[in-house]
Amino acid sequence: MQMALLLSLLIPCFAAPIAYASGKKSYKAAALVVALVSVIDLYLLYTTVSTIQADGRYVESYYWMPMLGSTFTLFVDGISLSMAVVTLALIFSAAVFSMNYMAEKKSLSGYYAMLSLLTVGLVGVFITSNLLFFYFCWELMLIPTYFIIGGWGYKEPYHAAFKFFIFTHAGAVFVLLGIGAVYMLTGTLDMFQAQSLLATASSDILGWVLAAFTVGFAVKMAIVPAHMWLPDAHSEAPAPMSAILSGVIIEAGAYAILRVSLGTVFPSVPATEIGSPFLHVLTIFGVVSAFYGAFTALAETDIKRIVAYSSISHMGYVLFGLSLFPFSEGLTGAVYHLVTHGVSKGLLFLTAGSIMMQTKVRNIDEMGGLAGKMPFTATSSAIAAFSIAGAPPFACFISEFLIFISGVQAGGTDSFYFLPTALMLVATVFSLAYVLRFFWKVFLESPKIKEAKEAPIFMTVSMGILAFLVILLGVWPQHFIDLISSVSF
Amino acid sequence: MISVLDVLAPTIIFTVCSVATVPLIAFIRKKTRSHQGLFTLAWISTVFAAAAISIVRLGTEYYGQPQQSFLNVSLAGGNLLSVSSAFLVDSVSVYMSTVYLIVGFVSCIYGVFYVKASERLSERYYALMLMTIGSVTAASFSGDLLTLFIFWEVSAASSCFLIVYRKTRDSLEASMKFLIMVVIASGFVVYGLSIVYGLVGSLNFWAVREALMVLENKQLLVVAFAFIATGYGIETAIVPFHMWLPDAYTAAPSSSSALLSAVVDQASYYVILRILIYILTPPLILDWPYALAIFSAITMTIGNLFALAQTNVKRLISYVCIADIGYNLVAITSVTPLGIMGNLYFFLVGGMTTALSFMLVGIFNNAGLKTLEDFSGAGLKLPATSIALTIAMLSFSGVPPLAGFMAKYMVFTAAIESKIAWLAVVGVLNTVLQTAYFLRLIHYMYAKTPKKPMEKKIPRKLLAPPYLLVAAIIILGVYPALILGLTYPAAQQMGSLTA
Repeated sequence: MQMALLLSLLIPCFAAPIAYASGKKSYKAAALVVALVSVIDLYLLYTTVSTIQADGRYVESYYWMPMLGSTFTLFVDGISLSMAVVTLALIFSAAVFSMNYMAEKKSLSGYYAMLSLLTVGLVGVFITSNLLFFYFCWELMLIPTYFIIGGWGYKEPYHAAFKFFIFTHAGAVFVLLGIGAVYMLTGTLDMFQAQSLLATASSDILGWVLAAFTVGFAVKMAIVPAHMWLPDAHSEAPAPMSAILSGVIIEAGAYAILRVSLGTVFPSVPATEIGSPFLHVLTIFGVVSAFYGAFTALAETDIKRIVAYSSISHMGYVLFGLSLFPFSEGLTGAVYHLVTHGVSKGLLFLTAGSIMMQTKVRNIDEMGGLAGKMPFTATSSAIAAFSIAGAPPFACFISEFLIFISGVQAGGTDSFYFLPTALMLVATVFSLAYVLRFFWKVFLESPKIKEAKEAPIFMTVSMGILAFLVILLGVWPQHFIDLISSVSF
Repeated sequence: MISVLDVLAPTIIFTVCSVATVPLIAFIRKKTRSHQGLFTLAWISTVFAAAAISIVRLGTEYYGQPQQSFLNVSLAGGNLLSVSSAFLVDSVSVYMSTVYLIVGFVSCIYGVFYVKASERLSERYYALMLMTIGSVTAASFSGDLLTLFIFWEVSAASSCFLIVYRKTRDSLEASMKFLIMVVIASGFVVYGLSIVYGLVGSLNFWAVREALMVLENKQLLVVAFAFIATGYGIETAIVPFHMWLPDAYTAAPSSSSALLSAVVDQASYYVILRILIYILTPPLILDWPYALAIFSAITMTIGNLFALAQTNVKRLISYVCIADIGYNLVAITSVTPLGIMGNLYFFLVGGMTTALSFMLVGIFNNAGLKTLEDFSGAGLKLPATSIALTIAMLSFSGVPPLAGFMAKYMVFTAAIESKIAWLAVVGVLNTVLQTAYFLRLIHYMYAKTPKKPMEKKIPRKLLAPPYLLVAAIIILGVYPALILGLTYPAAQQMGSLTA
């Protein structure tokens, strides 16, 4: 369909005021608007699939700023499409989940308008190849998130939102420097053109450009030691927002490292002097994050903070996978892990939110025995948790498996990778440990909470959809993996 | 063919109407009670419409030429050229006059509403506003250093009265400070000009430029331009000559601060741009970029650090103006086509954003909210004003899709392009600092619970001019090509300057 991608950005953009206006009458109507928008967007993206399968990439180009040599280029390939699909699936679930979950809060019309704007930013990041517009969307993720966390979060929400904004904005300005440098070296803002032009540009600052991009993206990805914003933001945000934060926003950082740092700049840096040390550094940070996140999750007692730290750990897995560049299994595994982790972690946050809402308790030491009282939530939580732990047949197992075999493969050519791969395998044991502890304390241990009911209808529907996806992606991964591995760098 | 009259038409309209404003408004005040504001508004709109027609005429004539070159127009030709007042029409000056016209118009409308809301209708105030805009317009069309100086002094004098308008203790003190600084600055400038005249025998931009091109011993030239640069540096409020600015803008009524920051400030950047890039083109004539880069880094850092420490919101915005000077200097330092485009874009956007913030802070001040603490919970009390202020803050912090982002992007990219990447890094770190204190303000507005009850109701029409600017900031951010198209010829002309 012509203009499918442009429409997929414009529709949520114009839906924001509609959601706001309909929210004045009924909050459920506003939520439906957002959910509907994500379904329409999913359909629009679906229309591009045949072109992707035939040509590998679907491109739309519009007039924007000829003076700066910049056209407004939107594209999707397998990776972009997978990420956008996860985003929309999570936005849909979040909107449906919010119908019950947010019902007691005030002035929700603003909330749904923000959610709709967030869709523009998130989808935009994944489907543009114009670096400047990429940055537009990158920052457009920030503002709605800031107001959603601040306006509808827990405890001292604006404090957490502030931390989130400052950290990621500080990271983003480095990205901006990188974009400026790419423009200076090549005269273009298009990622793919820049990739080929940079190869001939031969400049000594390319190493710095690579570093600026990667640092900027790593902050969003919450790689240790730039992770400090994450636990606060994720745990104080309302549950649907946490699901989006953990499920897509931090993953946008990983996507950007793959697309911009590794895809655009990396091929042009001298391989032995900068290239392989750079990848090794990524590996080390990946391993450190994986362990740090897992250990802290083991020690934490706040239900949402456990899940938040587990996100740090999993971004470590992804970074490790990315550092296996250009091993295709590693990249496919990393990207597929973004998909599977997005869905699983989104589900886990929703179940955590559902527990918090029904019990009014956050500390897992004070829970226990909820499996009998909230069977549906317990089942969904189990599916999500075991997927996170990497247990088959759930989604994350496939992606982690791909990352590990590629790690061993990479060890064959560069013996550096043996030890990190072994360490990552050890880290999965810790993942299993914190997941089991979480599940035991919340659902199985002797009950400490007298009354708790099953979550209301829309929340269960929303969790059900994601639980179904987690299982589906685990037993039938072929479609996504074909899409992702069709992209070559 | 563009004549002197064409070039001076906007200024003549502004000046004559400015003089006519005093009796006219006095007449309106005497005759009618109920529609004073409406009549004043109609009169000011008429003046601006007339000026707009003359500028559009000039612009179409200039852009109608097959090739946009530098067009010199002087009162007398031949032998007298070296002593005659000269005017220069190029895409930069046409663009600048458009900027003054647009932003000046919005500020004047706000001024009419604001002054009426807080005090009685004052004819002198409007007359001075028109005078200021007229003189900066003429200054941007000047083609020689003396004409530039004269019109620039006129604008300084009228800004002084705009600052003192309320005659409170603070504003008297601030305008005194400003006046002394201006006098010192003019002394410096005149001294520098006399040396230049001694060296060259003319003050015409192109005559000076060509003479300096072949000049062998440049010591005296450095001295002369050190004086001129210091003079204009004082008026631009480059750190360490910035002390007058926060006092002046805080003490002045908000409508004056808005006009001054949007028009006079931008005009002062324009003067620096014109002298440094068009006359002292580096590296052909004088190699100044490195020195200016240092000043630029200091200016933005000091501006932002002081802004971080402020508790009075209006003063905070004044320090943001200083930080903005730093960003503008970054663009001037990078003598590249992109730098010029970014710079001119920044002139408009920076001016609009500071004007917008001052207007909104004026509204808050009217409601009795002055310090950060007072702003607690303002988001609930004055929702529309708070949203507009939030947008202004986000634009300052360089958050897309607002116009401030494009401005910063172009400026920093230009810095990287001209191999002064460290300055771009300093600028970027400063942006983070800026985001921090703006977020603190947003935090106060939305996260804290209200402490102080509102003192009085705010007339709704005061919000109209700010929202015009909000719309402009969003539109220009998403579609900057609107402005970049206008300034593109200026970027192309850069080639002929440096070659």
